[in-house]
Amino acid sequence: MTSAFDLAFLRRIGWPLAAVCLILLVAVLAPLLAPHDPIRMDVVNRLGTPNWLHPLGQDEYGRDILSRLVYGARVSLSVALLSATIAACIGIVAGLIGGYFGGVSELLTLRVVDIVLCFPPMLLALLVVTMLGPGMETLTLVLSILFIPGFARVTYGEVLSTKNQEYVEATRALGAGSARILFGAILPNIVGPILVQFSLTVASAIVLESGLSFLGLGVVPPAPSWGLMIRGARGYMEQAPMGLLWPCLALVLTIWSINQLCDSFRDAVDPRSGGSTRGFWTNLRAVLGMSSRAAPSGAVAPEVVLAVEGLKTRIVTPTGVVRAVDDVSFQVRRGETVAVVGESGSGKSMTGLSIMGLLPQPAGRVIGGSVRLATKDGRIVELTDLDEPALRKIRGEQVAMIFQEPMTSLNPVHKVGTQIVEAIQAHRAMDNAAAQARAKALLEHVGIPDPARCLGEFPHQLSGGMRQRAMIAMALSCEPKLLIADEPTTALDVTIQAQILELLRALQREHPGSMSVMFVTHNLGVVAEMADRVLVMYAGQIVEEADVATIFARPRHPYTRGLLDSVPKPSHAADTDASARRRLATIPGTVPNLALDRVGCAFAPRCAMALDACRQGDPPLVDVGGGRRSRCLRWSEL
Amino acid sequence: MRNELDRSAMRRPLGRRHFLAGAAGLALAPNWRTAARARTPGVLTFGLSAYPPSVKPFEFVGAASASVRMQLYRGLLSFDAQGEVRPEVAEEWRRDGDRAYVFKLRANAKFHNGDPVTAADVKSSFEQIVGERSTAFLRTEFAVIERIDEVDARTVKLTLKRPSATFPYLLATVNAPIISAKTPANAQIAIGCGPYTMGEVERGTRMELVPFRDYYKPGRPRLQRLRFVAYPDDNLRLAAVEAGDVDVIEYVPWPAMDQIERSQRLRLDTRDGPFMHLIFNFRQGPFTDARLRQAAAFAVDREAIVRAAFSGRGAVLESIPIPRESPYFIEGNSRFWRRDLARSRALLAEAGHPNGFTASLLSTATYGMHKDTAEVVQQSLREVGIQAELRLPEWGTRIQLGNRGQYEFAVMGSAGDFNDPDALTAWLAPNPVAAYGRSFGYESARMTELLEAGRAELDVARRRAVYDEMEKLAQRDAPMVGLAWRSQGFAAQRYVENFQTMPGFLFSYAALSLEDASVG
Amino acid sequence: MNYLIRRCLISLGLIYVVTTLLFLALHIVPGDPAELLLSGGGVAPAPETVAELRDRLGLNDPLWKQYIDHLVRLAHGDLGTSFQDDHPVVEEVVRRLPRTLELILAAAVLALAIGLPLGALAAVRRGRATDRILSGFASFNLSVPVFVTGTILVLVFAQKLRWVPAGGYTPLATDPLQHLVFLLMPAFAISVGLAAVVFRMARAAVLDTLERDWVRTARAKGLSPRRVVVRHVVRNALTPVVTVLGLHMGSLLGGTVLVEYVFNWPGVSSLLVRAVEQRDYPEVLGVVLVVSFLFILLNLVVDLLYALLDPRVRHA
Repeated sequence: MTSAFDLAFLRRIGWPLAAVCLILLVAVLAPLLAPHDPIRMDVVNRLGTPNWLHPLGQDEYGRDILSRLVYGARVSLSVALLSATIAACIGIVAGLIGGYFGGVSELLTLRVVDIVLCFPPMLLALLVVTMLGPGMETLTLVLSILFIPGFARVTYGEVLSTKNQEYVEATRALGAGSARILFGAILPNIVGPILVQFSLTVASAIVLESGLSFLGLGVVPPAPSWGLMIRGARGYMEQAPMGLLWPCLALVLTIWSINQLCDSFRDAVDPRSGGSTRGFWTNLRAVLGMSSRAAPSGAVAPEVVLAVEGLKTRIVTPTGVVRAVDDVSFQVRRGETVAVVGESGSGKSMTGLSIMGLLPQPAGRVIGGSVRLATKDGRIVELTDLDEPALRKIRGEQVAMIFQEPMTSLNPVHKVGTQIVEAIQAHRAMDNAAAQARAKALLEHVGIPDPARCLGEFPHQLSGGMRQRAMIAMALSCEPKLLIADEPTTALDVTIQAQILELLRALQREHPGSMSVMFVTHNLGVVAEMADRVLVMYAGQIVEEADVATIFARPRHPYTRGLLDSVPKPSHAADTDASARRRLATIPGTVPNLALDRVGCAFAPRCAMALDACRQGDPPLVDVGGGRRSRCLRWSEL
Repeated sequence: MRNELDRSAMRRPLGRRHFLAGAAGLALAPNWRTAARARTPGVLTFGLSAYPPSVKPFEFVGAASASVRMQLYRGLLSFDAQGEVRPEVAEEWRRDGDRAYVFKLRANAKFHNGDPVTAADVKSSFEQIVGERSTAFLRTEFAVIERIDEVDARTVKLTLKRPSATFPYLLATVNAPIISAKTPANAQIAIGCGPYTMGEVERGTRMELVPFRDYYKPGRPRLQRLRFVAYPDDNLRLAAVEAGDVDVIEYVPWPAMDQIERSQRLRLDTRDGPFMHLIFNFRQGPFTDARLRQAAAFAVDREAIVRAAFSGRGAVLESIPIPRESPYFIEGNSRFWRRDLARSRALLAEAGHPNGFTASLLSTATYGMHKDTAEVVQQSLREVGIQAELRLPEWGTRIQLGNRGQYEFAVMGSAGDFNDPDALTAWLAPNPVAAYGRSFGYESARMTELLEAGRAELDVARRRAVYDEMEKLAQRDAPMVGLAWRSQGFAAQRYVENFQTMPGFLFSYAALSLEDASVG
Repeated sequence: MNYLIRRCLISLGLIYVVTTLLFLALHIVPGDPAELLLSGGGVAPAPETVAELRDRLGLNDPLWKQYIDHLVRLAHGDLGTSFQDDHPVVEEVVRRLPRTLELILAAAVLALAIGLPLGALAAVRRGRATDRILSGFASFNLSVPVFVTGTILVLVFAQKLRWVPAGGYTPLATDPLQHLVFLLMPAFAISVGLAAVVFRMARAAVLDTLERDWVRTARAKGLSPRRVVVRHVVRNALTPVVTVLGLHMGSLLGGTVLVEYVFNWPGVSSLLVRAVEQRDYPEVLGVVLVVSFLFILLNLVVDLLYALLDPRVRHA
C-alpha cells in the first residue's frame, strides 16, 4: 500500500480528489466564505433574485442562499464523515475479531450484521428518528448503525483471505499477540478495500442525510442542510425554480465527486488495471502514423496457400509499443504442415492472429507487410487490405483457427451443437435441421462417441479432449484451406494430447492436399511429430527456417540449438554420452522487452556465441542453402 | 355556452402537447391523457390532505375524515354558508325555556337502509355518545344533557342540566350525527342518513361515494359520484389539481395561492379561519414566570410569520383568537400584543434576564406551517436575546410531549369547533389532565368562572361583557398567545360549481356543500 | 439442498429476532396510538376517551401479555387488525405488496432496457468518446437522489406539460392503460439511478467477457460483430448483471419509501410510513414481517435465476 501513494497514484485520482478537497475546504472555511449569516432572515426580501449582495438570491425567509449552501456543506459533510468514521471503527473491529478468531465471535458478528441488514435502511432510519426525535446526533447514530455491516463484511472478507498469508504467519511465528497481529500485520494490508468502502459510505451517508432532511426527519432547522433547502424550495419551485436548483446541484456534484474519487481510487488500488490510459492513446496514435505498406514482391506460386511477406504487428500498451511481429515472411504450401516454434512472447501466436485479423482491439495493429491467401475459388486475396466484413467471409470459411484452452474457447452458456451450427450458418445458407445434421456428422468425424448427445451438451459437461475435438469439428465445419492451430494440445494431458495430434494427422491424410496446417507450439516433441517444415521465432522475428528433419539434426541458429537442448530427446536418452545429459539445460536469461528499442541481434544478450558484430546491427535472415534460412552471423560455425 | 368556450380554448394547447409528446418519442395514444384527467360530468374528485384513518360516526380523527363523515352522516343541525346554525335532519327546532330544546324531524328523512329517521334513533345516537365505554369526541360536552325525551316518533326534546348558549353549535358539528339504532356495535361504517353512501374503498388512497337516492333534500346530491383521493404531500396535491387529476383540493399550500389565483383553469377560495399560537409550560421552565411569557409575546414578529410562513396569506393575531366578524370582537383588546421590543426587553430585565435566556421551542416537522412558524418565532425572539432551541419531532411524538408537559413553550395551529368564544374553552379552561394543544398546567379559577358564565348567558350584550373580561384575563395570564390568522384555501377547477367555503373556524365544513356541487 | 434448508432456518430465526426487536422498539417509541388517533387536526381529545380506546386496542395490558398475544396470533398466521379501522393487516399487506413489487420490477426492466445496451456499447467502445460520455453520465445519474429526480419529474411532466398525472394509482383491472400511465413516472424515477448501476455492471461484465477466449473463437468463426456481441458477450455478461440487480432489488424494497411518498404510490412502503406515523403497531409489524420474509425469498430466487442463466451452476 505504501507504494500506492506515489505521484502516479495521485495523478490518477487527480481531479476527483481536488474536487472533494475543495468541498471539504468550503465546509471548513464556511464562516470565512459565506457572505451572510445563513440563518438570518430578511422577510421583506424573501425569494429575492440574485444581486451583488446575494449572488444566488434569497430563500423563502429571505436568507442568503449562497451562505446556506456553504454552511450546508459543513452540515452534510460533518454528519457523513462522522457517521462513516464511527461505522468504520466499530465495523472494522467487529470484522477483524470475527474474521480472525472465528467461532462464537464470528457467528455473533455475522448474525448481528444480518439483523441490521434485514431492516430496509429507510425504515430503520424512520424508526430511530421517531424514537429519538430528529437532529444531527440522531442522524449520525442512525447512519452509523446502517453502515457498520458494510465495514464489518468487507473487513471480515479481507481478513479471511489474508490471515493465513506468509507475513501474518511470520508475525505469528515471532510470538506476537493477537492484537499485534490484527492491527500490526493484517489491518495495514486491508486498508485499500476499507478506504474504498469508506468513500462509498460517505457518499451514501450524504444521500441518506439529505433524504431524511427532505422528509423533515433529518437536520433540524434553521441549521442549513441541502436536503432541508430542497424541502423548503420545493414549495416555491414555480416562483423561484433557481432556489431548488442550487441545493440540488450542490448535492449532486458533491456525491458525484466522491463517487468519482471512489472509482479512481478503486482503479488505482486494483492491481489488474494497468497504468493510465493517456499513454495508451498517445502510443496508439503514434502507431497509426507508422503504417507503411510495401507492395508484395512477385506472384504467388500455385502450390502456395499462404504467403506472408514482411509482416509487422504492433501491440500498444500504456507504457510503450510492443513489436510483436517484426518483419516476418514465410509461405505455407498446399497440404503442408508448418510449425511455428518459440518461447511464449516470441510472437508466434500474434503471427497467427495477425493473419486472421483477430488482434486484440484497439491495441493490436498490423502496420506493414502483406498476407496473401489462395482461396478455394482460386483467387489470391490480400488479407491486410480487407475490411472487417470481407475478412469475416475469410474466417472460418478459408482459414479456421483452434486455440489452446478448449474450456475457455467454447462459450460456456451455449450448447456445443449450437456453437457448431452457428459456425456453419455463418457461411452456409443452411436451415437449422440441415446444420444440426452436419454438426452431428462433423462430431462423429472427429471421433466423438455419441455425437447426438454431445450436440445437446454444454461445454463443461465434456472432458478436455472431447472439447478440443468439438473445437476441431467446429473449425473444420466449412472445410477451410488453412487451419491455424494455436497450441491446441498444450492444456491437455499427454495421452489426450497424442490422440488429438493423431486426429489432426488423420484428418490431413484423409484428403491429401486439401488442408494446410499452421501449427503454433512451443513443444518440440509435437513439432517432430506433426510438422513438415519448422519456423523458429524469437522476439517477433523468424530466426530460423528449415524442414523438420534438418532442423533437429543440424540447427543453424544458437537459439534453435538452445531450444533443442532444453528438451529431453528420447533418442539421446539412451546415449551414454555425458555431454548429452549435461546439455539438458535451459537457455540463460529471459525474452527481451519488445517495447524497448534495440540494436543488434535480439538474441545476443543470451547468446554464448555473440560477437561485437552481433550487437552492432540487426543480422539479416539469410538463405543458408537447401531451403533453409537463418538469422545468425555465425550460422556456418554451428 | 361557457363549456363550449372552455373546450375550444383547450384545443390548441392539446395539439401542441401531442406534438411535443410525439417529439419526445413517447408512444402516447391520443386518449390516454383524457382518461387520467378528472373532468367527467357528474363525477367530482376531491384531493384530501390525508387519508381518513376511520369514518366512525362519533370519533374525531381529523379534518379529512370529517369531510367524508359529513357525506355519510348528518346531525339534527348543521351550518349554513354564513356559518350560522341551520336545521338539517330536524326540519325545525326551538328553545323551550332556558334549558331545553325541541326538534321536529323531517318526515322524509331516511337512513341508508331505508328506515325513516325517528326520535328513537336520535335518543340512541346521543346515548351512545355519552355511553359508559364511549370514545366519542363530544362525550364530555354531552354530559350537560340531563334527559332525552321522545315526544313522538318525529319529535325529540333535549333537556340540559344548565343553560348553554353553545349547545346548538355542538349539535351542528360533525361530531353529533344521527345514526340508525340498528347500527351494529363498533361498526366501522354506521347506518347514517347523509347524501352519500360508501362505495368502493381503496384503503389508504381513495374512497368512492355514491349518491343516496332517498336523501331528504330533493334533487340532492347533484353528483353521480364523489371520489375522495388522499394526497398527503402538499406539493403533490397541488400538482394534482394543476395537472387536472382532481377537481378540488383542500389545504392549498400557501406559496401556491398566487399562482392558482392567476390560473385560467383554477379558482381559489380562501378564508381566514384557523390560527397559529404559542403555548407555555406553566409548571416548569422559564415560562412559569408570566413576565417572560409576556416578553416572548411582545417580541414575536407576527408580520414576518404571516409573510414568510403563509406567503402573506393571513393576518396578524395580537390577542386571543376572536375574529373581527364576531359580535364578541372588541377593538380595544385586539392589538394587545403588538410587537414592542422595548417593552419585551423591559419585561426581561424585570424578570432578571436582561440579556435574555435560553428555552426550547417545540413544534413539529410533520406539518410545514408548524415548522415554518416556529422558525420565524425563533428568529424574531433572537432580537431580544431569547435563544429558542427548536425541537421538531414528528407529530405523534409532538402530541405525547405536549400531553406530558415535556416542553418549555410550543407552537400550535388550531381552529375552534364552532364560531363562538366558547370554543376557546379548549385552550383556556383549566383541565385536570393536560392536552397537547393548550398550555401545560394553566389554572385559573376566575377563567373557569368566566367561561361558564359566558356559556350559560344567552343575552349577547351581557355575554360580550363577560368575554371582554375573559380576553383581558387571558392577555394577563397568557396561556395562549396569538400569532397569526392563517388563510385556509381550497382550489377548484373553474368548471366545478356550487362548492362553497365556510367562514371562520368552520372552514372544514366546506365539504357540506358537496351535496350541492356539480361538475358540468 | 442441505445448505438451502439451513439457510431458510437461519433466515426464519432472523425474522423472529427482527420482529421481536421491532415489537419492543415500537413500544419504546414515544407517541400513543390511541392519543394520536383521536388527535386529528390539532384538536385535543378528552382523556377518558383516550383511556377507553387504549383499553379497546389492548394497550392497557402488560407488555409481556401483548407480546404473547402477538406470538400466538402469529402462530395462527394472523397479523392482527389495524388500530385505525380494524382492517385485517394480512389483507392490506397482500393487496399492497404486489404494487411495490410491480414498481420495483418495472424500474428494473426499464433500468435493464436502458443500462444493458448502453453498458455493452460503452464497453465495446472502451476509452473512446462514447464510452466517456456514457460513463460520465452514468456516474452523474448515480449521484442524483431519487427525491430530486421525482420532484423535477412532477414539476415538468405533470404540472408544466400536463402529460401525465402527478401521482396516484389505478388498479390494472379498472383501466390497464391508465394503470401504466400512473406507473410511468415513479418507475422512471427509480430507474434513473438503477440504470446507472446496471450500466456500470454491464460495462464491467462486458469488458471482462470481451477478453474471453470464446469471443475470439466466435470471431474466428466469421460471425458478425453484432452476433458476437449479442450472443457471446452480452449473453454471458447478463449473469453477473442479473445477479447483482437481483440482490439490489432487495434493498430497493426498502428504498421505495421516498418514491412512494413523492408519487403517492399506494405500496407497502407508504403503508409502513403511515403506520409508523399513526403508531399502528399491528400494521408496522405485519409489513416488516412480510417484507423481510420477501427479502429472504428474493435472495433464494436470485440464486435460482443465477443457475438458470449459467448452465455450469445448474449442473453442478
